Amino acid sequence: MASQKLDRRAVLKGIAGASLVLPVLEAMGEEAVKHDPRRFCAIYTANGMSLPNAKHKINEWSWFPQKVGQDIEFGKSTEPLSPFRKQLSFLGGLGHANGVKADPHVCSDMWLTGAPLHNPKPGTYNTVALDQVVALHTKQFCRQPSLVLSIDAGVGFLSRTGTISYNFEGKPNPAENNPRRVFDRLFRADRKAQTSLRSQLQKRIKLVDAVLENAKSLNKKLGKSDRAKMEQYLSSLNEVESRLLASEKWIDIPLKKQDHSHLDLSITSEGDPQEYYRNMLDLIALAFDADITRSVAFMLNREDGMGISDTFPLKLGLSRTHHQLSHAGDKKGQMEFAKFDRFLSGQLAHFFGRLNEYQDAGASVLDNTIVLYGSGASTTHNTTNLPTLIAGGGNMGVKHQGYWRRDKTPLANVYLSILHALGIESKSFSDSTGELDDSIFARV
Amino acid sequence: MNWKSTVRRRNRREGRGLTRGFRSRAIASVVLLAALALMWQLSPSTVVGQPPTTDDGARGSDDASNEFKKTIRPMLSKYCFRCHDAKQAMSDVNLSVLDREFKNEHLFLLDEMLEQVSSNSMPPEDELQPSKSERRRLTQWIEHALLRMKARDAEKNGSVRRLTVDQYQNALSDLLGLRENLTDILPPDAVSRDGFLNNEQSMVLSPLLIEAYLEIADEALSLCLVDKNERPTIQTFRMDLGKSINPEPCPDKLILGANSLLLANDDFVVRELTPTKPFDFDALSMKKSFEFIEGYQGNATVRGWRKFGSIYHAVFACVRGTRGYPAGEPYEVGEDGLLLRPAIPSPEIFGRSSTYGPMANFKISLRELPDQGNFRVTVRAARYDDGLLLGQDADFQDEEDELAIDGGKLRDGMTSEVSIPRDGIYQIEVDFSPAPKAKLSLSLGTRVFSGQLKPTKSKRSPEQLKLKEGERRAAFMQVRLPAGKLPLKIDAAGDSRLSQIRFVRLDDESDAARRFKTFERRTPSLGVYMGLRRDCGSTLAQVGKITPMDSNKLTEFVFEGAIGNYPTPDVEEGNVNYLAGIREIGIRSEYTDGRNMPRLLVRSVEFEGPYYSSWPPKKHRMIFIESANRDNPAQYASEVIRAFAERAYRRPISDMEHEFLTGVWLDAYESNNDFQQSIKDTLLVVLTSPQFLFVIEQSGGPKLEVLDEYELASKLSFFLWNTSPNERLLRLAANDGLHKSLDDEIDRMILDPRFIQFARPFTSQWLSLDKFDVVEIDHRRYPRLTRDVRTHLREEPVQLVQHLLRRNLPLSNLIRSDFIMANEPVADYYGLADKTESGLRFAPIEHRDENLGGLLSQASLLAGLSDGRQANPVKRGAWLARKILAEPPADPPPNVPGIDEDDESLSLRERLERHRNQSACANCHANIDPWGIPSQAFDAGGLFQQDSNEDPSSTLPDGAEVKDLNGLKDYLVDDRLDQVAFSFLKHAATYAVGRDLKYNEIAFLKEKGIELKPSGYRMRDMLRFVIKSKIFLTK
Repeated sequence: MASQKLDRRAVLKGIAGASLVLPVLEAMGEEAVKHDPRRFCAIYTANGMSLPNAKHKINEWSWFPQKVGQDIEFGKSTEPLSPFRKQLSFLGGLGHANGVKADPHVCSDMWLTGAPLHNPKPGTYNTVALDQVVALHTKQFCRQPSLVLSIDAGVGFLSRTGTISYNFEGKPNPAENNPRRVFDRLFRADRKAQTSLRSQLQKRIKLVDAVLENAKSLNKKLGKSDRAKMEQYLSSLNEVESRLLASEKWIDIPLKKQDHSHLDLSITSEGDPQEYYRNMLDLIALAFDADITRSVAFMLNREDGMGISDTFPLKLGLSRTHHQLSHAGDKKGQMEFAKFDRFLSGQLAHFFGRLNEYQDAGASVLDNTIVLYGSGASTTHNTTNLPTLIAGGGNMGVKHQGYWRRDKTPLANVYLSILHALGIESKSFSDSTGELDDSIFARV
Repeated sequence: MNWKSTVRRRNRREGRGLTRGFRSRAIASVVLLAALALMWQLSPSTVVGQPPTTDDGARGSDDASNEFKKTIRPMLSKYCFRCHDAKQAMSDVNLSVLDREFKNEHLFLLDEMLEQVSSNSMPPEDELQPSKSERRRLTQWIEHALLRMKARDAEKNGSVRRLTVDQYQNALSDLLGLRENLTDILPPDAVSRDGFLNNEQSMVLSPLLIEAYLEIADEALSLCLVDKNERPTIQTFRMDLGKSINPEPCPDKLILGANSLLLANDDFVVRELTPTKPFDFDALSMKKSFEFIEGYQGNATVRGWRKFGSIYHAVFACVRGTRGYPAGEPYEVGEDGLLLRPAIPSPEIFGRSSTYGPMANFKISLRELPDQGNFRVTVRAARYDDGLLLGQDADFQDEEDELAIDGGKLRDGMTSEVSIPRDGIYQIEVDFSPAPKAKLSLSLGTRVFSGQLKPTKSKRSPEQLKLKEGERRAAFMQVRLPAGKLPLKIDAAGDSRLSQIRFVRLDDESDAARRFKTFERRTPSLGVYMGLRRDCGSTLAQVGKITPMDSNKLTEFVFEGAIGNYPTPDVEEGNVNYLAGIREIGIRSEYTDGRNMPRLLVRSVEFEGPYYSSWPPKKHRMIFIESANRDNPAQYASEVIRAFAERAYRRPISDMEHEFLTGVWLDAYESNNDFQQSIKDTLLVVLTSPQFLFVIEQSGGPKLEVLDEYELASKLSFFLWNTSPNERLLRLAANDGLHKSLDDEIDRMILDPRFIQFARPFTSQWLSLDKFDVVEIDHRRYPRLTRDVRTHLREEPVQLVQHLLRRNLPLSNLIRSDFIMANEPVADYYGLADKTESGLRFAPIEHRDENLGGLLSQASLLAGLSDGRQANPVKRGAWLARKILAEPPADPPPNVPGIDEDDESLSLRERLERHRNQSACANCHANIDPWGIPSQAFDAGGLFQQDSNEDPSSTLPDGAEVKDLNGLKDYLVDDRLDQVAFSFLKHAATYAVGRDLKYNEIAFLKEKGIELKPSGYRMRDMLRFVIKSKIFLTK
């Protein structure tokens, strides 16, 4: 029995060795190289967006465009995005049904999950976030299932989250915030980590191998027993094994050659906000270009004055912190809040520009990426009509149309449409009631 | 009825055609069938020893096949194939598959054919018609064919059934001795047509599932195995509670965010302890100095570095929740400890009320807990020797034993003394000058009582009561007092002035005294929770079981759990926010329905974790068993592997299996030279092998074989306990004793506490209780259907089914019953609060309410089968037909808009009418709605509405007329009980074998089940009937 086993191992190793000739194809499977990659990036800003009170007569500073329809006029807080008008849409009227039921401070926690945080299943906190559903289906095609970034490292704490990504158990995925560390991990994987990853994978392969062999011998012995279930089990095991083998092979495949000279890895979140955001967004763009991951979540700032981002408006010459500005009712305060939104729009524009610079086989990286940008509140503590912007995805059937709006639409329907656009045939996401029909999404 | 609609239905569901077929037609055949069906129930003696004989129906089959070839096939060809051949297969009906040799899968088709042909529905009018004699010949032929087929055993080829998620979790826990729930990452099981999660046809296996199995097995084994040479580190601390108990309280003001009420710093003491253990360990010293930059001031964030250095910033006492407890203080610290009133659950919706957790929700907040392992929370608690605070509508008492104290002496904080002449229950009445926020905090001996001070509404005027100018009298409380000297202290009177306190002894036989005696006998229940601090909702999840406190003597109660089952803060090392990652141990007096009950007294709360009674822990030693061969790696590995695999596979392992596993071990051991690791690698294979993950029944061929002893042990155990067989069952199997003692074992298993693992999943799935879990209740219309009340109501059908099975009571109780199974919240919901004192425990209550009793008037079902706003006769009718009568209605035809999508401006009733009036819908609704209409007077909250203007009278599909739900219940019990019995048998059998039943199995239940009738369809007998049938006992 043992010798049989060794033979099998040898054969598997042989296959792995031979396949190095065409590494990417072998590792990712034919399906993956036939199509351009489909990617997802969620970018979150806390405390809402500028929707100034009408009495101040500064409507031009409203984050949402003034009119619904194809030919929108960008407001002052979103003006930097205007060069990308054909590659983006504003979506209005969206919200999480559970959002209005919960303490509004948890709107960041549930933005990407839609979970019933007011009434969670005992012993749990959140539910899975969109980026992790995407990652589950794209991880087999790339090196890392997902990349989770935030202005503050870690997870913050419950109800003042520092990450927008939650795993399938509803637990927060710790975010990274240091450009150098992110870069080193993604682009300069050290040998020790590689070795440990390899030995982990090999161990798992060995285990699957043994289980397979055991199951096969049992299957033979079962004689005339109902075999269908066992066949399903065996083929699932085979599939798991081939995925593991693919992951192991990734370790040996060299990274795509890229120009990294524009990065300044000495920047941290303590420094200049613009430099910080641009470097982080550049890292995302590079990771997409090299197909290191296809799912990214980035939290730009945090709810309720937590963390360093609260001070960014001050650093930019505005008079109050981000949280204070979000609560401002006066004209000056509301104007300043809008100016900070304009600053964020500028960073996004930089990011979209980068994504357009990089090309996949069939289209730009931006056209092969759906970028979801938004907030869990419209104005502070108001969890209806969540400001939402979709950019990119032109190569996945997204038909941009300026400003689309339908009141009381579940945000989860947008998420479901995003999954479908990415080719992930989920029946639902969170409390979705269906796709976002009659909108910017179309099946391809 | 046209062919199209009925055939679609029959083809997809079994049972229905049979049901009606037998009722309407095949009366003459019943006798024959009953005789044939006899063979289907195996007595123990036929099981043991000789295999049951199977009649394959060979006799007469030659004639039949000749007849088929000569006459039947040509007839089908002439009259039917134009539409129903392989090519056309109109309405999915293809009769060309019929052959001289029938297959089981054709039985439902034949059954349908019989109905269509004998009722002249087919061929359709405008087609070529067979002659009368041809038609008779065809029907006779089908009838004979069906009879032969029913008598013949369906082929069985053994089975391979994956464990459900719950079964996997239970089996893993039992095997490894783990409390951790590790199955969150498993995809949920698919639901079968009948609503069951264990149906092998609807179960899927996917790579995702396999990956999850691998992850879970790895994690589970890691949790079991320890480095036995390492000393464990144990965290132990105790919080003692009592008025001014702490001589050195923390000088800082503690902060816990919005809406937190903290105990006074000197009312609690925290000490780290070193427990006594029979092994060496290190006692953990918690971190006590911290530096934070972010903190809270009320609800606002403050920034700025600050140092904290005290154990009281690591562990402190907090009560979180809403202010404004309806009567008395939600919590109070007395000399003996913390006094808690029942924790009133808060409504869920933010804005309408607080979501900050229940009122009187005591928590110990702490920063540090072990990463994994089991823990113990030991609470020293008792029922408080309490007084009953009186409301404003109490009566004054006039008795001779009146004792009045001059209030002049009773200024705040002053102690006095009264002399109580006789033991007894006293009413304490207070004369005082009213003030808006008047309250009274009274100490009697060591006992404390605080409450609002409001004048009692009395018919007697202040003059009659001889009150001083401007004063009023309040009947404040009743309390039992011993004779003798009683120290008395007014701790606080708010802004009111007291002039007199009167002690009036109650006549022992008075109503007031009786009420008090009921009050003082009530048992508060202690619940322990663990979770995380957060702003919204509650992460607190229960630890152990809720425990009733029926003694006034302080006693230690132990609550155990696994750390891994509670949310972890997942806060990174060095987080600089004061509130980040704060854990909580919650202690509550459980709320039932708001009735007055003595308070819960909590003297101390002790935490110990990870909790080990021995080292290495038992879960480690369950794997690394005792052996004389411990020093011989190969020998010991072989023993360890065999012992483990036999428990995992639930049977002795074969030499081949053993050889294979020891091969895996040797391979691992040679490569890593680490004995424990190599064993772990091997056990990982065991835990992810089909022998563990599947319930396998091996078969040598299509002929029926009796389950072997081990297969029976597993099948029985997964059926009645939802987990793998325990030692006793396996031992019986090893001694060839399980078939023999099957009757005894069934009884024993049903009476075992694990039987709830049958009652809950079976009842939930059979009756689709998940509908109640997900229905969005309109909180404005049904404010009483809170989350907690829903949890209790959902348990009601489960408890009823379990009770009927355990007591072997008649099935008719499911439909019509003079008792309900209820705890206090459920009884209160139905207006029966005064009929029970069972706390949270479910117990039978005689309801004497004509609108209660049986499943059909249970709120969880009525509300679950609504849209959360209005009653829905269609949902209720379809459910009743499907679940209670096993006559499932057809699926709605495609392209018909659902009710919900229709014009929202119309009322539900109008929308339903519009929907039904569409011709495509009318036919089927005629078989659905009449079952639901009788419950129209029960609203979407599941309660009977006296003033309902809905007409509950209904003409049932079979023509019977009932005037309301009670009429329907009577009809079901008096006229259709056989059908209800069949439905229960069918659902129980389907769940028992984890697959759809075959045609002749349905026929068997239908025909043979009737034998249970003379004894009144007793529920346990029915379950036994299923287990002892061939359906269950053969493979």
